[in-house]
Formats: sequence, C-alpha cells, structure tokens
Amino acid sequence: MELVGNDALIMARMAKVIGEVLKPGNQPLTFDKRFKEDLGADSLDIVSLLMALEEEFHTQISDQEAAGFTTVGAVFDYVKARAALAHS
Amino acid sequence: MNRRVVVTGIGIIAPGAPNAATFWDNCLAGIAPVSPIPAHWKRYADYASTIWAPLPKLDFTGLGISRVEQMQLDPSSMLALCAAREALDSSRISSTLKNEKKNTYSLDGLDAGRVAVYCGSGIGGLTSLIFSQSFHIVSPLAKAFSHLRPLLSGGEVPFPEARLLVDAASEDIRMPQRFNPFIVSMTMPNAVSANIGIKYSVHGPNTTVSCACSAGTVAVGQAFSAIRGDRADCALCGGVEFLGDEFGGIFRGFDCAKTLVNPGNDPHSANRPFDRLRSGFLFAEGGAALLVVEELSHALRRDAPIISEITGFAETFDGHNIMMMDPEADQIRRMLHLLVDSAGLTFSDIDYINAHGTGTVANDEIEARIIDECFGKKPIVNSTKSLIGHAIGAGGAIETAVTALSIAHKTTHACKNLEAPVRDLNFVRTPGDFPIRKAITQSFAFGGHNAGLVLQEYRG
Repeated sequence: MELVGNDALIMARMAKVIGEVLKPGNQPLTFDKRFKEDLGADSLDIVSLLMALEEEFHTQISDQEAAGFTTVGAVFDYVKARAALAHS
Repeated sequence: MNRRVVVTGIGIIAPGAPNAATFWDNCLAGIAPVSPIPAHWKRYADYASTIWAPLPKLDFTGLGISRVEQMQLDPSSMLALCAAREALDSSRISSTLKNEKKNTYSLDGLDAGRVAVYCGSGIGGLTSLIFSQSFHIVSPLAKAFSHLRPLLSGGEVPFPEARLLVDAASEDIRMPQRFNPFIVSMTMPNAVSANIGIKYSVHGPNTTVSCACSAGTVAVGQAFSAIRGDRADCALCGGVEFLGDEFGGIFRGFDCAKTLVNPGNDPHSANRPFDRLRSGFLFAEGGAALLVVEELSHALRRDAPIISEITGFAETFDGHNIMMMDPEADQIRRMLHLLVDSAGLTFSDIDYINAHGTGTVANDEIEARIIDECFGKKPIVNSTKSLIGHAIGAGGAIETAVTALSIAHKTTHACKNLEAPVRDLNFVRTPGDFPIRKAITQSFAFGGHNAGLVLQEYRG
C-alpha cells in the first residue's frame, strides 16, 4: 500500500524515529512488522521508542495505549488518530 | 620495580570551553566566563550570589551522543562521554563501532580486560532526578490548575485575583513531559563511570569516586594506583559534574551555606581566589575532564604522545566536620608529606602547585598558610578556579589536566583577579615561561577528604 499526503508524512517521521531507536537496517518498514519479533526490540528499546515517539509527535502516550503498540501499523493508527484529533 | 604511569590523552569540557584546546587557550588568555544565573531561578528564591560560570552550549548529537542516549543519560554522563572521546582521540586510541543500535565501540589494539575507568562525581545524576521528581510531585497540581482555570474565567468571577494567582503559580510549574522511566540509571552516581565502560566495551576495574571536591583528584589517584599495582594497563580517569538543575536548587544549597561569591559591583572581578577581598567560590554549571593514563611500556609500544608522568598520590581524611575545614589543617599537612614521599621527592623539589584555591575565606587562608609552611616561596602557585569557578567533582580532574599541560608546555595560567594576596607566595600573576618539571595538584572536599597528585616532566 502506498501512503500519500499526511499519511506518508506521518510514516516518514515514524520511520525516522524507529530507525534511530531500533536500527532495523535496510528491511522495509511495513505495517505488519512487529517490534519485538521482527525488528529485534527488547523491553528497554520499547520504552525508548515510546519516549522518542512522544518527543517526535509532541504527545503523551499512556501505559494502556502503549500496551497495544506491538506493530508498526498500531503505532501509525494511533499517531494518525491523534493528529486528526489535534486538527478537529 | 614500580611500574611507571604516564598521561597520554586529555579531554576537557569546562565553562567557556567545549574542548581541551579551547580550554587551555582560555586559561593562558585569562578568559573567565561569568554570567548572571538563569532568570527563572529567581522565581524560587532570593540568592546572595547571583552569578555563575556556565558551560558552553553543546551539540551532543554532533559529539556522537545518539537521540536514544540523550533520552537515557543525565548530562553528567554525556559530558563524561564527550570528554572521554576527546581524551582517546588525543591519545591516538582509535575505536571501532561494535553495536550500531547501542552506539557502542571497542578500543582498537587494547586489551579490554586491562582498561579501567575511574571517574569522580559529587552528585552523579541528581539534576535529572530533581527534574523527573518535579513531574512526580507537581503534575497533580498542574492538572488541578488546568481544571480550576476555566472556572475562574468568564462570567461572574467572584474573586478575579484568584485567576491571577493561579496564572502566576502556573508559571512556576516547570516539569518534563513525563516521568523518565530511565531515572534510576540516570541518577545513580556510578552511571558516569559505567557509561564510559559500556561505550567502549572495556572490562577492567570500573568505579565512580564520590568525595565531593576531591573526587576528580582521587579518581586519577586510583587509576594511578591500579596501573602501578598491575591491576590495569590503561585507564580513562578524571571527574565530571553537572550542577545546573532546572530550578537552581543545588545553587541555592551552596548559597544558603554562605559558600558562594558575592558578585559585588563588578561580577567579572568578584571571583578572586587567594585575594584579601575574596568572598566565596564561583559556582560552575559543571564540567568534565577525562585523562588517558597508562603504564609506560604500554604507551611506548603504541607510540602514544606522552604529556607528563604521574609519580605520586596521597589522600587523608580530616575526621573533623562535614562542611568546615580543620583550621589546624593537620591532615592536609600529613597528606602533603605522604604525597611527596610517595613520589620519592621533598617539598623543595616542587616547582609548581595547582592549588585547590576556591576563593572561600577559610580555604584560601588555610591553604596558603600550609603551602608557605611546607613549600615556602619557591614553587609558583595558581588557582584554576579563579578562571572557571568550582565544578565540584570535575574540579580536581580539570586541575590535574592543567598541571599536566603546564608541565608539557612549560607555562601556566595566572591567578585571575589576584591583587592583594592573602599571603606572600609565588602566585602566577601573568603567564610566562616557567621551568616546571615537578608539580603537585591538591584538592580538599566537603566531608574532609584531602588528596593530591604529583606530576612530573616525562624523561625516558
């Protein structure tokens, strides 16, 4: 699926953060990628990723929300919903 | 036979100086950075002292500290890593990326199990704890204010002053976006040494020395002892401190204790160690000095640049008072005897003393008297704190670096703002050519920790 417009912008910023925190190499960052199993994140990496996402998107992620962040797609959906909320 | 220990690399971050070369140039030029304390600190208290020596703005990303590390490390650890990097570079020790995700390296050509880390720090990552605790304590209050504010706006407001008070109080609330989940590893004092060891994947002894203003000196002394005692071949050693907490609370602690300089009419001449008009020490935002020290044959084998040799170390403890120096100074005197003995020297051999020289009334009177009594008027004497203020756990390490550089360059810096000396000693009034071959640097700390090092010109 090719992302366009705001979706592409969100994904580019997410890819930057994930790249800085997890250093996933050259593998494509698709929605189905799981942070632990596919991208090699340990529990401290996940905490770092959440902090970096909060910083990047100027948001606060609760522990309950964070518990659902197992895949790239789940984080994308969250950020997109937050962005929509911010602009509504 | 004693193993000889030499200094082969120096990295420094200090007020007004992002690296060792700038720092040394500033020293010889007499550049002393002094600024008003941050304006918002004055929201929390009235201070007797209102000046400090700030660090330069540092681009940690440009200095190789990753985004993740910047979230997980207290500034003290980041300063230590930057100074360690510079020390390794100046010692011509290259490194190879070991783990891209962790941003860690291995040191080329060194036996990692024989590389030690000894780093001094007075407060470790306390400033991070203070900031994160502000979220812990104040966030419920901020939430209450956010609910209260709309109730005080618009319509019939019975107490409009209440809205103004809430707005003013809200201005005082400064807190991070979240409680930092890494706060434990940011705060623990051993983090400064541990993070250096992790960054360079070394496995020798790794210790943080926490004895306030002597910490940097003792850390170098412990590295010297470890190498001389064949427990390591090489060490990254020194001291680091970051004191600029968000609220000025650490500054306030020293200010309340009446230890800080009175800014008077001219803040730039207020900091005047060993002068009769001294009034206290200049609070430094922080600093770091890391030295590469190694066993002589280890240094020669890899053709390392030898800056100077460390030949002696001694420490004593006052057992007198947690914040006051013993006016009799018996344990400082004993430390100095042990110090020159440890190097096989006598007092008359010493050409240069880098003094503790804080600028407090008590320290400078006692220190000058003991120098006069032990060394007389022969050695030249200066106080690096006259230039950059007092960076607590980093101070002794920065001054060890100054001592090594003074021996190497056969010159040293002046005692800034010294006009009427408290005692007739051979204070350095202007930088010049000085035949410095044997020198000491000494530190005295809150708690009662006295420590000194002997450094000498390296002769093969």
